[in-house]
Amino acid sequence: MADTYSPDSEPTTRTLLRRVLDTADTRTPQRRRSTRIGAQKSLLEIPSSRRLSISTKMNVRQRSQRARSIGRLAHVQTSGHLEEQTPRTLLKNILLTAPESSIVMPESVVKPVPTPQVVQSSKQESSRGSLELQLPELEPPTTLALGLLAPGRRKRRLRLSVFQQGIDQGLPLSQGKTLDNTCGQHLFSLNLTFATPLQPQSVQRPGLARRPPTRRAVDVGAFLQDLQDTSLALASPGNSLRTPAATLPTDTVLEDTQPFSQPLVGHSPSVYHSLPYLFHTEAKDAEKAVSHRTQSNGPRLQNHSPGKPAQLLPTKAKKVDALAMSFTNTSSAISGEDEVEPSQDVVSEEAEEMMEESLNMGEVKDTTGTQGSVRTEKSERHAEMTEAFEAKEPEGSSGDKDISASPELASSTTEFLQTRQLQFPKSAPPPSTAILSSEDLEPLPTRLPPRARTLGPRPRQDPYKTGLSHYAKLFSFYARMPMEKKALEMVEKCLDKYFQHLCDDLEVFASHAGRKTVRPEDLELLMHRQGLVNDQVSLHVLVERHLPLEYRQLLIPCAFSGNSVFPAQ
Amino acid sequence: MEEDKAAEEQQRFSYRQRLKAAVHYNVGCLCEEVASDKEIQFSKQTIAAISELTFRQCENFAKDLEMFARHAKRSTINTEDVKLLARRSNSLLKYITEKNEELTQFNSEQRAKKKKKLEEENKKPVEPAEAGAAGRDSSTV
Repeated sequence: MADTYSPDSEPTTRTLLRRVLDTADTRTPQRRRSTRIGAQKSLLEIPSSRRLSISTKMNVRQRSQRARSIGRLAHVQTSGHLEEQTPRTLLKNILLTAPESSIVMPESVVKPVPTPQVVQSSKQESSRGSLELQLPELEPPTTLALGLLAPGRRKRRLRLSVFQQGIDQGLPLSQGKTLDNTCGQHLFSLNLTFATPLQPQSVQRPGLARRPPTRRAVDVGAFLQDLQDTSLALASPGNSLRTPAATLPTDTVLEDTQPFSQPLVGHSPSVYHSLPYLFHTEAKDAEKAVSHRTQSNGPRLQNHSPGKPAQLLPTKAKKVDALAMSFTNTSSAISGEDEVEPSQDVVSEEAEEMMEESLNMGEVKDTTGTQGSVRTEKSERHAEMTEAFEAKEPEGSSGDKDISASPELASSTTEFLQTRQLQFPKSAPPPSTAILSSEDLEPLPTRLPPRARTLGPRPRQDPYKTGLSHYAKLFSFYARMPMEKKALEMVEKCLDKYFQHLCDDLEVFASHAGRKTVRPEDLELLMHRQGLVNDQVSLHVLVERHLPLEYRQLLIPCAFSGNSVFPAQ
Repeated sequence: MEEDKAAEEQQRFSYRQRLKAAVHYNVGCLCEEVASDKEIQFSKQTIAAISELTFRQCENFAKDLEMFARHAKRSTINTEDVKLLARRSNSLLKYITEKNEELTQFNSEQRAKKKKKLEEENKKPVEPAEAGAAGRDSSTV
């Protein structure tokens, strides 16, 4: 075996494992070899011929890989068999069949389109087994390539691999959690694909984060079916593997859809998330335009899913499609298409309408808490255009806290307002009053007790200092020059006065309108007085100018995450 | 139509210019007062600058006042709006509030006087109906 492959320059885990297994391998399969070689050789010839034909399409590099894999496959088929699986043999099969792909260079692995075919053409057991360990490395190319070819195939293989993991780990199949964990581990170990797609899902809908595991648990039931089907298909692995590979996915897809319609829906976004993720940095611009299309595509999710990946290859615009599709898919998958469509309609409408709606919703929000919150959550979920929403709602509601708590809390809450204005990642929590009250007060309580005790004057207390020192540090950072301590202190003083003044103004504006709570209109008035908003420049324009889509996409998940935000790798 | 618009523009412009001239004149008078008071001279450019500044600030005030009134869901500008505008400078705010109080007092006093007159006119014929009327008639005559 050592002859068939040239060891990598880097000692990867793969090579280590291989060496380990090579040394240990000699014991077990010797018996089987003698009995099975004759039977296996016929099987070998057909796949090898298939593989050779495939190799003509590939690069030289992959050819060498294929050659190695062929050699390994021969070894595999002599040694292992479906019924006599042991974890050891499975691992060995993985190492034999998997191409020499290092974790460091994912892009090179991205190229080979036929690799999935090759993997497929090999024994199902080995392919399944190979997929296990291949997931961290090969998954990027498989997701890309297979996504391009046929989503069904990939889904099936995914599920099978997951199922295989379950077998290997000796866990019952129904454990959705383990599958989720393993998948999650895989996903987070990847430097591509699943990392981001799943995050927006879970981040945007913290309450529904439980859903994907249940869906996967259901899929496992289908895995058994798939296994049986593919084990039957194994009987004729050679030429039939390719064509049934084309037909089987559809069959399995159909089979899957019959008992469970949701899992496909759940998986399709994952497919497309993997695809657009690579291009997500480029694709954000056309989000708006795409949302229109996704609107129409919403209901015909499944029909579009096979079509979409084929489109994704040529142009960036198509990638944008996929991205938007993925987003809408996630939204539809999770929140139900009916709910998505109207909100998508809203989203696809002009941003101003959206913002006005959100503003109105914000106005209503104080009176109808949950309804507005639900609606606004939905709208925020689907709309990357809720700029004014974010701009105003957190301020309005944090302003609520301001006035309602006590006027002395002015500076602390102005800091909140300022944080929202100045620092995008530090956006205030989502506008729903319930969530806000819980989240807004969490940082506040450290300041509340000292505030409540000292009523009359406004003494400089530690919470203030800590908050203002943060701003002073920002100031020094943006000054790009070393600053004296005295200068920083002066900056803090000025900031303090500024914030106090700001909140006084807000309070006065609110009382001027006969209200006790500060509302977004008060803030708009303030900005008008500050000269930021005037006849030429409206608030919406400012929001669009200063809250670009990328920031909004960061902000919205953060705002809705409920403090469960995972970093994108 | 275009001619009308142009004429309107011209009219507005000339109106504006007249207003500016009025402001300039008033600023000049005030500056002369201050100059005689503080024994300091004001150059013409200074006066022009101040008058231009005043004019633009008046525009700002007007816009702000309108916004404040709209913010309070009113269609007329109120003393409250003016007070809101002047809250920045304490002395000005004081002055304005004092003036406002004076005005309100004055108004209320006037109203009280008017009311008293009315009441007296009403009471007198009622109580000493004939004698008072006769007395008054004789006195007036």
